Amino acid sequence: GGGRAGPGLSAVCLCCRERVRAMFYHAYEHYLESAFPYDELRPLTCDGQDTWGSFSLTLIDALDTLLILGNVSEFQRVVNVLQEGVDFDIDVNASVFETNIRVVGGLLSAHLLSRKAGVEVEAGWPCSGPLLRMAEEAARKLLPAFQTPTGMPYGTVNLLHGVNPGETPVTCTAGIGTFIVEFATLSHLTGDPVFEDVARKALKALWKNRSDIGLVGNHIDVITAKWVAQDAGIGAGVDSYFEYLVKGAILLQDKELMSMFLDYNKAIKNYTKFDDWYLWVQMYKGTVSMPVFQSLEAYWPGLQSLIGDVDNAMRTFLNYYTVWKQFGGLPEFYNIPQGYTVDKREGYPLRPELIESAMYLYRATRDPTLLELGRDAVESIEKISKVDCGFATIKDLRDHRLDNRMESFFLAETIKYLYLLFDPDNFIHNDGSDFDVVVTPYGECVLNAGGYIFNTEAHPIDPAALHCCRKRKEEHWEVEDLMREFYSLKKTKKFTLKRPSDPGEGESAKDPEDTEKAGEKRSPKKSSHSVLSCPSQSFNSKLAVLGQVFLDNT
Amino acid sequence: ILLIFSCSRAKDVTMPAKLPVSFFSARSPVIDLFRGQLDYAEQLRQDSEVVLYFFYAPWCGQSIAAREEIEHVASRLSDQVLFVAINCWWNQGKCRKQKHFFYFPVIHLYHRSFGPIEYKGPMSAVYIEKFVRRVMTPLLYISSRSKLLDFLSNYEPGVVGYFEFNASPQPPGYLTFFTSALHSLKKDYLGTIRFGVITDKRVAQEISLEHSGSVYLHRHANTSLIYPKDIMNYTAENICKWALENREMLIRWLRPHGGKSLLLNNELKKGPALLIFIPYDPLAEIHPLLDEITKVALEYHKCNKSQAAEPDLQHLGDTDSPAFDSSVTDAHLKLSEPLSITKYPCCNTVVLPQWHSISRTHNVCELCVNQTLGVKPNKVHVPHCNFLEIEAALDSFYLQEHTFFQVISNTIECSNFLSFYSPFSYYTACCRTVNRHFLSFLSSEKTIFQTPKVAFSSHGKKGNTQFSIPHIEDRNCFIPDFNVSSMNITGLSCRTNKTLNLYLLDSNLFWIYAERLGASRSTHLKEFAAIVDMKEEVHYVLDQNQSLVGPTLENFIKNFSVLYSPLKRHLVDEPSAPFQEQRVLTEVTTHTFREIVFSSEKNVLLLYYAQWCGFCASLNHIFIQLARLLPPDNFTVARIDVTRNDLPWEFMTDRLPTILFFPHQRKEQSVKFPEDFSVNLPNLLKFILHHSSLSASEPCTKECQHKESVLQQGHISHLEREIHKLRSEISALHQAHDQLEAQLSEARRDEQRLQQQKHTLEKQHKTLQLHSEQLQATYDQKNQELLEMAEKLQELADASENLLKENALLRILVASREGKLQSRDEIKEPLQSEQTLSEDNDVSPSTATARLEEKKIDNIDTIETEHSSGNRTE
Repeated sequence: GGGRAGPGLSAVCLCCRERVRAMFYHAYEHYLESAFPYDELRPLTCDGQDTWGSFSLTLIDALDTLLILGNVSEFQRVVNVLQEGVDFDIDVNASVFETNIRVVGGLLSAHLLSRKAGVEVEAGWPCSGPLLRMAEEAARKLLPAFQTPTGMPYGTVNLLHGVNPGETPVTCTAGIGTFIVEFATLSHLTGDPVFEDVARKALKALWKNRSDIGLVGNHIDVITAKWVAQDAGIGAGVDSYFEYLVKGAILLQDKELMSMFLDYNKAIKNYTKFDDWYLWVQMYKGTVSMPVFQSLEAYWPGLQSLIGDVDNAMRTFLNYYTVWKQFGGLPEFYNIPQGYTVDKREGYPLRPELIESAMYLYRATRDPTLLELGRDAVESIEKISKVDCGFATIKDLRDHRLDNRMESFFLAETIKYLYLLFDPDNFIHNDGSDFDVVVTPYGECVLNAGGYIFNTEAHPIDPAALHCCRKRKEEHWEVEDLMREFYSLKKTKKFTLKRPSDPGEGESAKDPEDTEKAGEKRSPKKSSHSVLSCPSQSFNSKLAVLGQVFLDNT
Repeated sequence: ILLIFSCSRAKDVTMPAKLPVSFFSARSPVIDLFRGQLDYAEQLRQDSEVVLYFFYAPWCGQSIAAREEIEHVASRLSDQVLFVAINCWWNQGKCRKQKHFFYFPVIHLYHRSFGPIEYKGPMSAVYIEKFVRRVMTPLLYISSRSKLLDFLSNYEPGVVGYFEFNASPQPPGYLTFFTSALHSLKKDYLGTIRFGVITDKRVAQEISLEHSGSVYLHRHANTSLIYPKDIMNYTAENICKWALENREMLIRWLRPHGGKSLLLNNELKKGPALLIFIPYDPLAEIHPLLDEITKVALEYHKCNKSQAAEPDLQHLGDTDSPAFDSSVTDAHLKLSEPLSITKYPCCNTVVLPQWHSISRTHNVCELCVNQTLGVKPNKVHVPHCNFLEIEAALDSFYLQEHTFFQVISNTIECSNFLSFYSPFSYYTACCRTVNRHFLSFLSSEKTIFQTPKVAFSSHGKKGNTQFSIPHIEDRNCFIPDFNVSSMNITGLSCRTNKTLNLYLLDSNLFWIYAERLGASRSTHLKEFAAIVDMKEEVHYVLDQNQSLVGPTLENFIKNFSVLYSPLKRHLVDEPSAPFQEQRVLTEVTTHTFREIVFSSEKNVLLLYYAQWCGFCASLNHIFIQLARLLPPDNFTVARIDVTRNDLPWEFMTDRLPTILFFPHQRKEQSVKFPEDFSVNLPNLLKFILHHSSLSASEPCTKECQHKESVLQQGHISHLEREIHKLRSEISALHQAHDQLEAQLSEARRDEQRLQQQKHTLEKQHKTLQLHSEQLQATYDQKNQELLEMAEKLQELADASENLLKENALLRILVASREGKLQSRDEIKEPLQSEQTLSEDNDVSPSTATARLEEKKIDNIDTIETEHSSGNRTE
């Protein structure tokens, strides 16, 4: 059944949006009161604990959510608190992956949004600023992890001493391929190419080590490049690698990254997709190893909608939504044939992925079903996990027992995506009708024109900012020359489009064997259209709402 | 152990789920078993005829939304129906332990012992109430002729049972029939098949039911059927199945349930579909608009001109239904008049499948069953059809189908063939060929071989048409009535090659589909009709200025059916595109496309985009920069969101983003930005420069000079803007410089401060060193003292040892003295008393010395302890 008969959608939106806002403040204020300066709030015991380091993680993570909710004054206060209080010169073993997506990503997005939030920025902004310096400092602490023979990073690094002697060389795929968004942004803003270089090198190493059937496994030895866990799928351990190939391609207009993703996508469809579910298979043989759906996989429909595969995205989303309806949340693992949770994996730590996909899909389809999921999520989280001190992780979805944790992504992602789902006029959804013009010492920039790329911890990055600081003077003079041409009657005809010898930003020429291989596979398709584009929607997509799906859209 | 236990527990604190609380308010007419007491719910069921179970989960948004609706229904029906809500989530509850639901809420209905009947319809109070009422009275009692007529004239299929109640309290088979009605609600949760019961013999005779226990399925377009009791077992399941399989679907309600479903996909794949959106209240007594629409549907499907299907209604003589006695004047029907198969009792219309699509003819056959020999015991005058016979006839017919394909003539040819199943009957098949051109009076003067203009090209043809002079279809095309007046809708579905399937949608629930198809959002009347042709990827919309009534609908269908259809593809556009001149990027919609792109006197760069496409959104800033850079008098940078704005085929693209340039004065020669180039400012400028239409070779006239001066003027203003920009850049640089300066001076100050701090620290270091030396000295001294003390102690210990030795010697001395004294006593007894005295004197000093020694040892002990404690404090 469905509650479609209810009142107007805009009323539902508004009501739910305000409930989400209240949820945010319930959690946020209790964090400040009981847990700050620890990383996370423990909602059952009303105290704090350090989990991923000691950086007041929840505060960093929640910072841009404050702005999305429109709370400018608190944003400004927190920026000051962070500048004074956070120190990365600490003897702590930190996860390279988590530190990057939560700390570096959080600081970068806060830096880029700070002008919008009314923070008085310095003259070089967005190419300099205190938050950017903090992000850079944090990222530099991670660089030692990338010094391996393969270029793939270790999973853990000591912030003071670098990689610990005897550190395990086994890293999960996502822990290797989830840097390009933050690191390329850092390189473009600061002008130091080292970050983007190490991120690209790691991505290429993974691409090189894919199996013959085009899949990657779950864990790899970064010294020997041998796959340690050979399960291939789209969920835990791999997820954000695929996500960053797409988002990196969009952010950097990079055809090479996109071609990699499209090849993976083909293999994933061939081997792991069954009835709009995605299973786990052996990476060399393609045989099914685990017929499970993981909560973390629910980002996939959102990613598909970004590249225009809206029909498939919606079909998969509707599958995942049935699991939510069964439990009031998504279990970490869901056995598809049995239709039930998997032993020891029954928890739901208030993850954002399904809501994230709903937000992307709602942009594309405006389907009220997606708002329904949002409403269900608000009801479930409030009814099940709200406690006096915040919102508690659901330890077991079968009986809704609660655990003493509130992960920082609850405020960074879950709440943010929920709010954005119900707030279609938020500045984040800007379609380019609004923009800011900023004069920097490097020239004039158009910023905040929409198209924000969310990193995997839901920290938005303005793609325009990447073209602001990096703007080379040659390009500027070239544009100047061209403009002169516009105002003269006698065309010199010297300006014609020349085919760039090196497409994209990447140094694809450096690895001839690999590009050749990739090029061979794609050659028939490549000629027809650019990989950096979406297909336009088919006729029947007009009617593909309220659960209706259509077959063979050709 | 206890301590360790509590420690480890403090590490992972968990909390069980909150105890369930009531879900419905205490005043609610719904009984709320929020602890999931399923057993109690079962008990409650014994007392009530009809029970509704509402299984919910307290956290579930759908359950919460449905709660109000259920309460509303309960408040209206609580005197007749028991409403029980059961929390089927709480894991201590009976319900959770016994039931395993994949979604919530689940609504189950029981009619006495029959059930559960699951309600799967929309979660809206009116629909639920309607369904509950159907469960309460699954059989409609038909007491009179007029009621029978009402019952049968409804567009939804009706099943009538005839039972004589005078013989026994309950005639045989009645219970089965009753159960089958309930059973059908299980299968057909929308409740499209209605069940009625007749008890009056005379009323039953109207539909030629003579025997108590007969079951009759009414059909409008084809012959009605009687349940074949002698062939199929008379069970509730079978009756229900039979009715579902043989019912007519002239017009169908579409009610998507909200979950993932292929409903629309499957229905639209069947061919072009007419979707009619009307607001529908299931509880309303009358539905005038619906009646009107179904009348059109009935006419449209009425291929069998024999009227055989409607005799009973005809001679009931009710004036209510003019559709049934509509006189037919169509030329086609004159032609079909010789085909009077009224003499055949039992007929079905069959449209033969087409062999090839170019065929302009259509084979329509009337298939009738002839019962030659009066062998059958119950001979009836009025058509009385056994569905099995028709079925068998169809089977036989299709086996011989090939013989009919050759028939291409304007006359009707009939052939008889024997049934494979029964020796007593044969079938008559009368087929005629209907020329499709015949349908269209427009084509009367054209030859049959003329190739029709391709009105709708597909995506792929875009390349060819790109440079042709564009035309944009007029979306508000009004079709004059004379266009179609000569054609009749009756039986059109069989005469056209563009047969429509008809569907109804409740606009209270599914208006979103209408909006998607272009229903105007301003209208408050939620009525809308559209023809969707999925194969051709087009749809047509009934002019929304006309009200949705029978005649307009008929015209709409007719206009679609003719060969050169006057209908135009409908282009959906953005609902409320705010047209703002001062925007940097000009937003184009379906409406403004022509005006902005073609009519304007400027060069136009047009970006096709979609908001959801990541590759488009990240280019926004480049286009904004471009628009700010280009001289606004000569250039427009525009964009169109193609998800929300349909365009004529020739302007559609299949990839996004696509960039087209329409040069001024040569708008028809649009060029596409090559896809293998990266989209950036210099590339776009080069592209525009390359294709913009300023010819340089012309000799310079006055006009040209004027042009040049204008251009120069533009250049000057551009340069001025540049200078302004540079100025602000310089000021920004100054600011940055100041900032750096400030930072530098601060850094210097910091350095100085640090230097000072260093000095003070060094000083402190020195004093500390001194201090530490002093401490070392004291330490040595103390150590020395300690050693001395130890030596003294050693001396004392030695002294005490000497004393001990002395003591021992003294003891020995005393013992020997005593021995001597004793021996002397034995010899000199009489001297005893004196001796004892002297002995006393002797002993006392020795004990005194012993005591003294003890004291000494004590003393040493205390010294030793004092010493050690002193050591500790030191």
